[in-house]
Amino acid sequence: MSKKSRISWLLIAPLLALVVAGFILPIGYTMVKAVKNPEVTAALPRTVMVLDAWNGQGMPPDSAWDALADDIEESRRGREFGAMTRRLNFEMNGARSVLMQTRRALGSLEPPYAQSLPVTVPELATPEIWQLIKNNSNPFTASFLLRAVDLQFTPDGRIEAVPPGTAIFLDLFKRTFWISIWVTVICVVLAYPTAYYISSLSNRAASYAMLLVLVPFWTSILVRTTAWFILLQREGPINAGLQAAQITSEPLQLIFTRFAVYVAMVHVLLPFQILPLYSVMKRQGTSMLRAAASLGAPPWRQFLLVYLPLTMPGVAAGAVIVFMLSVGFYVTPALVGGLQDQMISYYIAFFTNQSINFGMVAALSLLLLVFTGALILIARRFVPGLGSLKAG
Amino acid sequence: MKKTLTLAAAALMALTLPNVSVARDLTIVGFGGGYQDSAREHLFEGYEAASGTAVSDDVYNGEMAKLYGMVETGNVTYDIIMVEAPELVRGCEDGIFAPIDYEVVDGSKFIEGATHECGVGGTGWGAAMFFDKAKHPNGPTTYAEFWDVEAFPGVRALRTGPKMTLEAALMADGVAKADVYDVLATDEGVERAFAKLDEIKDHLVWWKSGAQPLQLVGSGEVDYAFAYTGRIIRANGEGADYQLNWSTLLYSIDYWAVVSGSPMMDEAMKMVEWITSPEPLRAQAAVWPISPANAEVNADPALQAANPGMVLNHSDEGLFISTEFWIAHGDELQAKFTSWAAQ
Repeated sequence: MSKKSRISWLLIAPLLALVVAGFILPIGYTMVKAVKNPEVTAALPRTVMVLDAWNGQGMPPDSAWDALADDIEESRRGREFGAMTRRLNFEMNGARSVLMQTRRALGSLEPPYAQSLPVTVPELATPEIWQLIKNNSNPFTASFLLRAVDLQFTPDGRIEAVPPGTAIFLDLFKRTFWISIWVTVICVVLAYPTAYYISSLSNRAASYAMLLVLVPFWTSILVRTTAWFILLQREGPINAGLQAAQITSEPLQLIFTRFAVYVAMVHVLLPFQILPLYSVMKRQGTSMLRAAASLGAPPWRQFLLVYLPLTMPGVAAGAVIVFMLSVGFYVTPALVGGLQDQMISYYIAFFTNQSINFGMVAALSLLLLVFTGALILIARRFVPGLGSLKAG
Repeated sequence: MKKTLTLAAAALMALTLPNVSVARDLTIVGFGGGYQDSAREHLFEGYEAASGTAVSDDVYNGEMAKLYGMVETGNVTYDIIMVEAPELVRGCEDGIFAPIDYEVVDGSKFIEGATHECGVGGTGWGAAMFFDKAKHPNGPTTYAEFWDVEAFPGVRALRTGPKMTLEAALMADGVAKADVYDVLATDEGVERAFAKLDEIKDHLVWWKSGAQPLQLVGSGEVDYAFAYTGRIIRANGEGADYQLNWSTLLYSIDYWAVVSGSPMMDEAMKMVEWITSPEPLRAQAAVWPISPANAEVNADPALQAANPGMVLNHSDEGLFISTEFWIAHGDELQAKFTSWAAQ
């Protein structure tokens, strides 16, 4: 390596390290975590070995019972057993309590376990639980990714839709993208005239007007969301104003609604749309408009045929940022929305904090990334201006 | 020579670093609120004064993920934690909680059922329905009325999650207290509970932390809410005029458990013994309506008379939340609830 190229490598090293540490590693880790399935093999190595030779039909050989007893004895104080039962219970409700019962029963039972165990734990005498263990002895599984699109494996390994009462994630993805698209559209509609107005002001006035955009931008999302919480309350200023003006006779339910989610999200994200638009408009100036006017174009043609196409890169840049940020929104809907208004991040947090199911966390995150990427790619084909956005 | 010195210094630092994390305060974690304020004063600081061990406390909302993370990565920063009964049993099975050292902790002093392999009873707790009498002189007093949006229009608040919510729904649907868990153990019973919840879904707001329902009712956002009884009683003590309906009480016992892998296991066991002994509990009971799981304190007639809000005083009016039921059905009902609530 020449000295020159060494120096150039050195110069990009921080950037490279950042990309690897902040982008490639976490996404790679998430991808692996979404399909990893180590729990059963770690907790029941002997059982898995015996079941490997079993064809999955009927009951497994008697040696499987002894292997299970050995494995459970071995893992009595370790944490692998608990992790394995949680993993299997995700696949089949009740699997955990069967295995916990088995562990408790083993303390007082004598081999051969193929005879003694089924008396105390009758559920073990059916092939399902053994099939479940066998199916999950593979170090990788598609079951989290399937569940993230409301599908699941049956005990004999086929793929089926989850029961209608528990299907949830496809609707959630739809809702997440629906809310995000609307937030983006509203932001564009509100930001365009605002940015145009600011760009038409004198420098001094524009810097004051910009301050009105930037101060909320610099304020924490949490603070702005909480402010909306207070404003939208039943006994908050908005309802008080509406009633004082005799527009409504009773307080409206504003908080914990989809409406509140839209209002707060648009407010939080609006600066991300205004700022790129403003910079494009400022650079553009009005010379092209004047040229069009001098050629006889009426105002609406000046706008549609000249100004809008010229400022489209600003619209596109802002819209992509707003959309990407809304897709991952968590705090704002969690605070001002009801349970019916939560987006996919809420459930990612739920699986992290409540269910402790990192496979689901990774699968949902990965699908969110894939869907968002796909949507941006499709949008690039159809929305003018997006295509020129190489960095988008 | 210089290099050797630097290396030696680095090695020394590496050696002392893990000890830095050990030399922290004994950390005890609870659900916060007035209970924890009184516990801090009389149990935690009391133990600090009695033993000379520095104690600090922290608050959580019952999420177990952080604990599992701590134990699995071996970076345990909590020593003693207050947990609900089903979480205690599951955490014990999963090796997240250490077995209680009954050589140090006297197991005989507790009320029946308040000792477990991995935890001992801290306090009885309950949740019940309440409303602001200033706004609603005649509010709903039973679950059936809580569900009656015609006679009692307004917004209701319940705790996010299936536990307590499904029990309340069944009782609103006319199921007797004694039969609630038998009904809920069947698929039809679960359907029935969710169907009942559907009736008031548009009138419901969901809360997560115990302070929220009090804020929601206090600010007029919500008319009738389900909340922890201790907090309702405290709000009344601070000037609110809330009606607490004891007949809607759902109650249980919270346990003190020691986190597996705590670097201060011995200290933690000693502290658990101390904070469950009569003297500090009596001091705490003077300022907060606790229901200690210590049999002697719990049965004290003077204390019962002074503390009309003691949950275990009202046990005949309420329904004991079944630990076994929620261990067996918790995952399944949680999944169902999550998907129901999202739609």
